Amino acid sequence: MDPTISVSKGCFVYKNGATRAGKKASSKRKRATGATSSLLGKEVIGQPFYDAYVQTWSQMNEHINRLQQQSYARTLGQLVEFVVGQGQIQDEILPTAALLTGINQPDHLSQFDTFTQRLHAQKAARVCVLQSRDCPTLKAAIEAMVFSLIEGEQDPEDEEEDVTDRDRKRLRRSHCTIKQLNSWYTNNFQAEEERKRQLVVILPDFECFSGNVLQDFILILSAHCGTLPFVLVLGVATAMSAVHSTLPYHVSSKIRLRVFQTQPAPTGLNELLDKVLLSPMYSFHLSGKAFKFLTHIFLYYDFSIHGFIQGFKYCLMEHYFAGNAYALCTDYSKALNRIKLLTHDDMETIRRLPSFRPYVEQINDCKRIIAVLTDDDYLKKKLPQLLRDCLLHFLLFRSTLEFFTELVGDLPRCPLGKLLRELYVNCLNRPITASPEYKECWQMLSFLSKEEFVAKVNKSLARTDHFLVEEIAPLELGEACISVLRPQLQSVRQLLDDVVMGTLEMMPAMSTDESRPAPSLTQVASRQELKAQLLQRSQEERHQQIPTTEFARSVQKVLEHIETHLVRGHLRALSEAPPLHELFVFSDISIVRRNIIGAPRAALHTALNNPHFYMQCKCCELREQTQLMGTLPDLSVVYKLHLECGRMINLFDWLQAFRSVLHASEDPDGEVAQEQIDPQIQARFTRAVAELQFLGYIKMSKRKTDHATRLTW
Amino acid sequence: MIAAHYRLHAGAIGYSAGKYSHFCALYPRQLFVSKSQMENICAALEPLFPCREGAIKTLGELIGDSREDYPSALYLFGHSGTGKTALTRTFLRECSRQQGVRIAQLNAIECYTTKIMLENMLDTLAPRQCTEESVRADNMLEFVEQLRRWHDQGGRSQSFLIAVDNAERLRDMDANVLPVLLRLQQLTSLNLCVILLSQIPFEKFYNKTGLTEVISIHLAQYNKAETQRILGSDFFQVRGHLLEQFSKDVQRLAICEAALTEDFYSNYLNLFLSVFYKACRDVPELQLTARKCFSIYLEPVLDGTVESTDVSRLWRHIAGPLRSALTQIYMRTEKPPEEQEGSAPIEDQSVRKLAQSLELPYYAKYLLIAAFLASHNSANQDKRLFVKHHGKQRKRMQTVNARAKTTEKMSTTLGPKSFTIDRLLAIFYAILEEKVGLTCNLLSQISTLVHLKLLSFVSGEQNIMDGSARLQCTVGLEFVLYIGKVVGFNVRQYLCDFM
Repeated sequence: MDPTISVSKGCFVYKNGATRAGKKASSKRKRATGATSSLLGKEVIGQPFYDAYVQTWSQMNEHINRLQQQSYARTLGQLVEFVVGQGQIQDEILPTAALLTGINQPDHLSQFDTFTQRLHAQKAARVCVLQSRDCPTLKAAIEAMVFSLIEGEQDPEDEEEDVTDRDRKRLRRSHCTIKQLNSWYTNNFQAEEERKRQLVVILPDFECFSGNVLQDFILILSAHCGTLPFVLVLGVATAMSAVHSTLPYHVSSKIRLRVFQTQPAPTGLNELLDKVLLSPMYSFHLSGKAFKFLTHIFLYYDFSIHGFIQGFKYCLMEHYFAGNAYALCTDYSKALNRIKLLTHDDMETIRRLPSFRPYVEQINDCKRIIAVLTDDDYLKKKLPQLLRDCLLHFLLFRSTLEFFTELVGDLPRCPLGKLLRELYVNCLNRPITASPEYKECWQMLSFLSKEEFVAKVNKSLARTDHFLVEEIAPLELGEACISVLRPQLQSVRQLLDDVVMGTLEMMPAMSTDESRPAPSLTQVASRQELKAQLLQRSQEERHQQIPTTEFARSVQKVLEHIETHLVRGHLRALSEAPPLHELFVFSDISIVRRNIIGAPRAALHTALNNPHFYMQCKCCELREQTQLMGTLPDLSVVYKLHLECGRMINLFDWLQAFRSVLHASEDPDGEVAQEQIDPQIQARFTRAVAELQFLGYIKMSKRKTDHATRLTW
Repeated sequence: MIAAHYRLHAGAIGYSAGKYSHFCALYPRQLFVSKSQMENICAALEPLFPCREGAIKTLGELIGDSREDYPSALYLFGHSGTGKTALTRTFLRECSRQQGVRIAQLNAIECYTTKIMLENMLDTLAPRQCTEESVRADNMLEFVEQLRRWHDQGGRSQSFLIAVDNAERLRDMDANVLPVLLRLQQLTSLNLCVILLSQIPFEKFYNKTGLTEVISIHLAQYNKAETQRILGSDFFQVRGHLLEQFSKDVQRLAICEAALTEDFYSNYLNLFLSVFYKACRDVPELQLTARKCFSIYLEPVLDGTVESTDVSRLWRHIAGPLRSALTQIYMRTEKPPEEQEGSAPIEDQSVRKLAQSLELPYYAKYLLIAAFLASHNSANQDKRLFVKHHGKQRKRMQTVNARAKTTEKMSTTLGPKSFTIDRLLAIFYAILEEKVGLTCNLLSQISTLVHLKLLSFVSGEQNIMDGSARLQCTVGLEFVLYIGKVVGFNVRQYLCDFM
């Protein structure tokens, strides 16, 4: 009989039989199976969209990891050098490295992991990471440290080769003392004398440690520095002053502090965005709004790069899991293969895309329209061209964005933003040429001096060229993209030559209408009149807007050319993007917001105020939010009644109101004995109030009898 | 009194004559020692510890001779940097070397449990043949029994010295630790002395049950002349070091050799102490800083710009560096080699720099400002400060008088008051122009700020749920003003003090 079959519901624990001896084997087994099994069932894993998702994500994830490794590399290199360089030990002075990491410490654990790996790779040190939660007392701190230094993560090969000469018997926590560590160190490392193994102790969240524990801890480490080569690494989230205020003189004089600065989080994010998310390599894109939403969480709330990546991953999942049609969101050639796998339903999904309709409308042949709408095979034949257009559009968009960023990024006050990500959002969200910021930019560009202007445009051209060669060329559709963009850039270059040649002389054509209003200025009677005239004239001039010099004219020409061909042509907003762009762009921001931003209070309020929202039952449907019904759950009724009260709630009044709400639905006559309260109702009321108290909405008042205090507003 | 004590035990020599033969067998060398053992030890120590002759002599008289009975406990106290630990350590080492006394020196900070302390003691005290198996002692009884066992095993003639550093920690340990240590001689009937080292006088150790009297030795702080003498005592070492450093540069070597006289060095120390002596009397710290600054002092002499005898010009040259070194004393910040020179010291941070270097998310900055405002305004002013149409306030003489605040009454100088999370959020929403939802991300920022110690819990940390937890803002006005400047928010405008 199945051991879990029982009368009552329950939760059953199985010991998996993993002992320490078998731990290694079992963990290996787990790893082996882990690759194939997944939380999702077979029917999901087999789908093409899942395949596409996994491929895209693993590609991106690898890219992100690579990038982060690179950005950590410099600081970590210094840090490793510092640790390895602590050869000679001065008496009782503890070498200490303070790593100024910036806030959001969970992110930094990965940084310290990399650091640990490097040290292990060099066989230079044993590392232990001490979290503040493991160290409420000094005893716990020392025990945790010694335990993880001795027992700690040993790389498997190391374990196998040295298993004989190391005392491998399992340590009890209470045996983990400095003395134990000392004898362990002498046993294992004194023999291989040629280079001393450092014992690195990392405190990733310095601020969270209690001061007293930390002081004693440092004193102990420094006292043993002579025999055990300790190196302390502090992860400091705020500033060095935190270290100095935590450690009094008699402690800080026992350490030798070296400060290391890491890359600030916003810089890291910008790098991540520029190199990975906005890379033309990937066919998945975030819409301007979704993109802004994610960066907004990062910049305004938490500075957590890890959180950002997870949010992005969520978007990715959300995008692909919408259906197999979305499996087309990959490289061009892979997408071509996948077209064959699409079913009728998938084709219907594609037909329902909002951008499909304009595509149908622009076909003027009736038969073809019907074929597109009804014949799957016909549409499948059409798809490659559509997909190609779409992919090409994004490549062109991205390349032109590079040009545009260089052009307007460093204008004074940066009306459109100065970073690639800001411009990306601006361009995708709405037609950029219509915005006032864009006009401001254009005006500023035309005010630039000749040298500045030429240098700027040249720089933009160079950057775009570089981008085309470095990033676009290796791609599948790269050739096509370059062949479109090159001639346009070339013509900009030619126009720019005119600017270089252009002189500041007045154009003869202009001089004709120059003569008209000039003489009138002499015949003025009063100051006001003069002022009015001057104002009028300046306005007139602004209206004319016709550049007066050859140089200004050619500048205007260049700008016009850029606007018509590059900006209008390629930097189109999402609403004007080619058909089927929805397959490549994720824009459903509301669902992401609902799922990755927790708003517990709002959710609770909704649940209590309008239970129908979650329960979807027939009895609780409300016409309006404030409506009270007897059929609502008791808790909900009590909650809604309490919303109408002030700070103090009289329990008796509350009970009466509760009763009347219940009775209103049960018998409208209301002729039940007014004085006698049905004990059942009272019990229900009491229970609901207790639940409300449990949820933290009210508290029983101690000052006033039979009153409750509201805690929320 | 000490002398009397000493005389009292003088007779003990006669007593120990009986075991003398035994002694000779163990330590044949000592037979030929003509001077008393105590003098030997004192002679070895005195050159190492200048200005501590008195203390060494006293120590020597009390525990300098292992053939005599030790006093049961000694108490050595004095400020940090007066040489307690170093002196004791060298003394014990000499005792062990010359007389074969078994010694143990431990730090009470390490002994977070009694067991660790006892086992550490036994480990270092154990006779050589017993070191193989580790000794176990779970409590005081076992410890004393183990010591007695050694006594019975023929350690009769053996003397023991135990030194405990940071002895003030013993008070917080098990109640029996301190009394037993003080009477350990009596309990074990070994010739054993416990030396306690601490920074506080022994009176602070008294508890309800009382303690046996100990002999206290006070190591007074060095006065200025003594400090100078101690710092000057490493002149030859410094000179040797410098000469070695310049051994490749012939010209500098010549100048260095000529200029580096004892006079020159003591002049320097005089200048150095005139700046530092007021701020710091910790000799090791002074020594370290003096060595660091000496190379700067020597620099113009080596360049040939200033004569080595021209003290006033040298002073003008060194005054600035000394003063900046004064701000960094005790901090022990080390610069990486590549930016050894030229870069401004990291510690020289104003509040402004600190505020700029601290990276906080946008809303966290606003939360911090809100917390500051909540801490420094009284709650009944909130309506007037943060609500747009708060109605007209009637002016009465009483309020006018109350408003005429003196600086002592300014809440920004009185220090932060506590506030509830509700109030914090209310002010946060009032000062923030845009509308943001009350999400988890926002709420978690509060706990982040608490972690970073920018806010701290005053009370009710356990019951955040029922809204009775109270917080406090721990940053200063200047800091918040800078944060406000970064986000474009005028903090002063919302402070009662500046209205």
